[in-house]
Amino acid sequence: MMAEATPPVPEPGENMGKPLPRYEARAKVTGEPLYADDLQLPNPAIALFVTSGIARGRILQIDTAAADALPGVLKIYTHLNAPRREVTKHYTEGGYVSDSAVPLGGPDIVNDGQIVAVVVAEDFATARDAAHRIAIRYEERSPSATFGSAGAATIQPDALAAKSKKAGDFAGAYAAAPVKIDAEYSTPTMHHNPIELFSTAAAWNGERLTVHEPSQFVWQLKNGVASALGIDPENVEVRDPFVGGAFGSKGMMTQRSPLIAAIARDLRRPIRNVVLRDQGFTLATYRAETRHRLQLGATRDGKLTALSHEGWEVTSRQDDYSVAGIEATTEMYACPNIASKVSLVKADRNTPGFMRSPPETPYMYALEAAMDEMAAALAMDPVEFRRINDTKVSPVTGAPYTSRSLMECYDRAAATFGWNRRKAEPMATREGDWLIGYGCATACYPTSMMAATARAILTPSGRVEIQIAAHDVGTGAYTAMQQIAARELGVDPRMVSVRMGDTAYPPGPVAGGSMTTASAGSAVKLVCDKLKQRLGGALPSGRELEQAFDRLGTRRIEEYAEWTPPGQGKEAVQALYKGQMGGGGGAEGGKPKPLMYAFGAEFAEVRIHRLTREIRVPRLTGAFAGGHIVNPRTARSQYLGGMIWGLGQALLEQTELDELRGRYINDNLAEYLVAVNADVPEVDIIMVPEVDSQVNPLGVKGIGELANVGTAAAIANAVYNATGKRIRDLPVTMDKLLDVPA
Amino acid sequence: MTQNTSLPISRRGFIGGGAVAISAAGLNARAEAAPASAVDQNAPHRANVRFTLNGRSRELTADTRLTLLDALRGPLALPGTKKGCDHGQCGACTVHIDGSRHLACFTLVAGLEGREVTTIEGLAEGDKLHPMQQAFIDNDAFQCGYCTPGQIMSAVACVKEGHARTDTEIREYMSGNICRCSAYPNIVAAVKQARGKI
Amino acid sequence: MRPFEYHAPQDAISAVAMAGEPAPSHVTSLTQFVGGGTTLFDLMKLDVMHPARLVDITRLGDKGLQQVRRDDRGLHIGALATMAALSDDGAIAKDYPVLRDTLWQAASAQIRNMARLGGNVLQRTRCPYFRDTSYRQCNKRDPGSGCAALDGFNRMHAVLGTSTSCIASYPGDFAQALIALDAHVELLGADGPRVIRFADLHRLPEDAPQIETSLRPGELITGFLIPGGTWPRSTYVKVRDRASYAFANASAAVALKLDGGRIEDVRIGLGGVATVPWRAARAEALLKGAELTEGAAAEAAEAEFAGAAAREHNRYKIPLGKATLVRALLQAQAMEL
Repeated sequence: MMAEATPPVPEPGENMGKPLPRYEARAKVTGEPLYADDLQLPNPAIALFVTSGIARGRILQIDTAAADALPGVLKIYTHLNAPRREVTKHYTEGGYVSDSAVPLGGPDIVNDGQIVAVVVAEDFATARDAAHRIAIRYEERSPSATFGSAGAATIQPDALAAKSKKAGDFAGAYAAAPVKIDAEYSTPTMHHNPIELFSTAAAWNGERLTVHEPSQFVWQLKNGVASALGIDPENVEVRDPFVGGAFGSKGMMTQRSPLIAAIARDLRRPIRNVVLRDQGFTLATYRAETRHRLQLGATRDGKLTALSHEGWEVTSRQDDYSVAGIEATTEMYACPNIASKVSLVKADRNTPGFMRSPPETPYMYALEAAMDEMAAALAMDPVEFRRINDTKVSPVTGAPYTSRSLMECYDRAAATFGWNRRKAEPMATREGDWLIGYGCATACYPTSMMAATARAILTPSGRVEIQIAAHDVGTGAYTAMQQIAARELGVDPRMVSVRMGDTAYPPGPVAGGSMTTASAGSAVKLVCDKLKQRLGGALPSGRELEQAFDRLGTRRIEEYAEWTPPGQGKEAVQALYKGQMGGGGGAEGGKPKPLMYAFGAEFAEVRIHRLTREIRVPRLTGAFAGGHIVNPRTARSQYLGGMIWGLGQALLEQTELDELRGRYINDNLAEYLVAVNADVPEVDIIMVPEVDSQVNPLGVKGIGELANVGTAAAIANAVYNATGKRIRDLPVTMDKLLDVPA
Repeated sequence: MTQNTSLPISRRGFIGGGAVAISAAGLNARAEAAPASAVDQNAPHRANVRFTLNGRSRELTADTRLTLLDALRGPLALPGTKKGCDHGQCGACTVHIDGSRHLACFTLVAGLEGREVTTIEGLAEGDKLHPMQQAFIDNDAFQCGYCTPGQIMSAVACVKEGHARTDTEIREYMSGNICRCSAYPNIVAAVKQARGKI
Repeated sequence: MRPFEYHAPQDAISAVAMAGEPAPSHVTSLTQFVGGGTTLFDLMKLDVMHPARLVDITRLGDKGLQQVRRDDRGLHIGALATMAALSDDGAIAKDYPVLRDTLWQAASAQIRNMARLGGNVLQRTRCPYFRDTSYRQCNKRDPGSGCAALDGFNRMHAVLGTSTSCIASYPGDFAQALIALDAHVELLGADGPRVIRFADLHRLPEDAPQIETSLRPGELITGFLIPGGTWPRSTYVKVRDRASYAFANASAAVALKLDGGRIEDVRIGLGGVATVPWRAARAEALLKGAELTEGAAAEAAEAEFAGAAAREHNRYKIPLGKATLVRALLQAQAMEL
């Protein structure tokens, strides 16, 4: 019996808003120009990057003569005639860029696919032809590509050492544990690959610069471009009303933006640049490959007594980027003795960056796979094993969770999925030629918040316009802001219009960390509150509203509000105006303040062909609790997309690396495999009602990065149940399940 | 493996009985073509083309290299059709050519003479949405929306081709359109809602 | 793309007349015929191919070029029929299911609407070192430069028909059916028509991987003939990481004629594992006349892959290729006619 899939428009449960259709739905289905590269600039010249064909070495000669000679080529920039830019540091060091290596900064090549020239031409066809006619002679050096490559240095910077979590005496408890497991896991390089390509368009009008670029943080881009060009941020406007998918890749400014703006200034002409799909693999960030060692000790009745999680992550030579997901994995289950450590491996690569649930995706995969191994070692049901070790407080600091509905999620999902039909013994279920397995895992995501500002404008007609430079990357942020404002003001949502994704509006948070609804929503709630105060505490309607306007002697009432999360001060708003992420908040920070997390439980069925071993997932079930749900329709879509992301991470996604050459191999959408429609038969989503009044005034937890966290482990655990094989290195592919002679 | 082996089939036999009937007389009457090696590859060649775009006749003189996708997103100012890969791997640029779903990134403007092109902007009738557009709204069949024009154009054709009879068939025949936000089950629901209305 | 002339002649004779200048191989010919363009434009955008003249063959009016028809000689498939047209032909699905199965599992619906069958069989390899001109070593692109795939990342590369010059795998699907069914290829060149065996169309890389086929420069594929009767017991198994819209890790086209449990006739084409569409002659020889059991199928697969040669990342293709063949044989056997 298969469970009936929940409909795309679910009935709202307790503590959930209305499932309104998306604010911009009509514009999206009719093809209106919404995205950065849809917005046309007058008479643009086309810029196209040329990227390096080696990963390490230096340019000896770059011959542009044949390209320059083509009619329509305006100018070709190389390191010999690069437009001037100021140095800006990595964003974790107080600067703005996602990778501190400066393109066209000199002849040195520090990673594969580095920008070595920019062709500017009248049209794209000419620019591409010219790009191919540029001849480059390199002095090549052997690159260190990844873990285990000669020359790759393993380090543990102080900042990372400070993140290590410890409790009790791990070594002693592990040595004494009657049941233990000790296993190594790995996750591969992954690329976000939003379908909207990266792009930058720049136009100058005197001192003023307009930039159209898909961005998860337009105020960061505004300040970052200004910083790199040495100009006043007041003179930079960034427009990007809608983002065609991002997943972290459009979060922090890349070096591309100031480079294109500088070229536009140099040529005195608007410039339009679209990054080719293959170039996007090295001209933006990525999820770096990780390795893990998990050691778990438990009593025979299933109580965890010792847990150690050691992680290794790849980063570039120039920047120490890390995700350090031990934060979550050491606080997930009750366990008195804990150790953890994260190291970085510096290689000849571009700098990685955040990708949907950056720390939790790899680290929770390792923990949840290890939990399944321990459950098997204990001959215990994996759900019951988690129930025994469920906790309402941090095992590291003792701080309480504000709310934690993990086991409710497990119970609801298990019932819908039919977990009781699972046979604990591997290889026990078969249908024809297909081996069948069931698996489950925990999903979690911390509730983070950032300062936000918003403006509201009310006119006598009763129409309200909300302005906030927050971002809708497909999450439904416009709709959420519309609903929050309508609810706060007590008006029909149709009376509320929302403007976002433009630095003409007051700054909102980065569309990252699943922070938008809580943070931007809190600012919107606050500004609506102020609007009501101006009108005596409530918004009158109809004739009364007009009279109120008459009394105030105006045709337009405008309010502005600044919201900061608990524990953050005014400086957080100042940082926001400077395009910086400011002082964290929520689950961030070192003090034993309450833990704020959204939770979920995910179940997967896998089918594996007995001969060819390809793996299919006929169904997934997930139950999630994320506090107040503003819109169950868009929330369900976030969970749905997240679980399918998880499916891809389990079975498909992997940026393949030629380790000898230090270059990405499958830098295209035909061979970098993301799930297609046929991969996704049935996904059941259960939204478990949850009330949490502590997290923020809206009671909202972040959910956009929740559902993709547990899926890979659930699927890998199901593969074990089907085959008896533990595949610890993602993705789980047929070649790892076949008996391959050495 | 043998190479360059002609089977013992007479020229007459082939011409009469092969898949293709080609007049034998034509072989001798062929025109002399200038050698391709004389073609200048350092300056664009242009083609003049007349075709129908969203019901309107258009005439364009274009660089032979210009793809329909770049034309739509440039001189034709219809950016609803999206560039997601430019190599036939994502489906975001799906349009209808003579009613059949095609990829605009692999279509040269030079080859469009006499063809009828429909893009996402030409699907609704005035203010009235096409049933597939409405179904995408009703089923939340998109998130970021970037792949959506291609999904919708593909879905309309999928129904017209008769490849939307079962869920499995819809999934298979909609697999040429990647949705990175992964709205796939909702897309399937939308196709099912609209299929009876097309 | 480098600038090119574009022509759209109305008949095949005129098309052929625009081509035919000497070139080392048809892929380097300065004139290229273009149907759907799904391979050619892809490779032109990558600067792997740079013809000076394109001859659009989609408007050729010659009778039969777009058609599929049958007569006493067999099944005639016009080279300009789209992949979709043949895939959706109900009568073909019944009498030659392997043809349909290789087509609906190939590419995407959009590409199948565009790509023509003549061009489809000439689809070029997905080897990343071939497709990206920034790799200096590729004997196929630049003869004598070496082969980066040998010591590079080669999970998708071939294990059959390889040489020290090239291990690029043939990426198509339909060709496996054609080679299995002993198809003929009908060609038209400046000197007139000729017919070759499909098995002779693709050339092993040996020491000249840049010459991929036995087509002469300027020669146009006009059609295919599948001689003899129908093959209702035939199928195609395509194994891939992703459920759809992906190239085969391994595939097998199988056509069977059974007499009870005994194999009266068997035809096998393998894909995903070889440098060219691969006729599994050794396996066929072992199977002919034998009882079709899983054990017999496995033995035949073992024999076929006895000469397989793997590199670092594609060792799995040997057990996978064998398993795929076994699965396809059993699947064809189990078909209810």
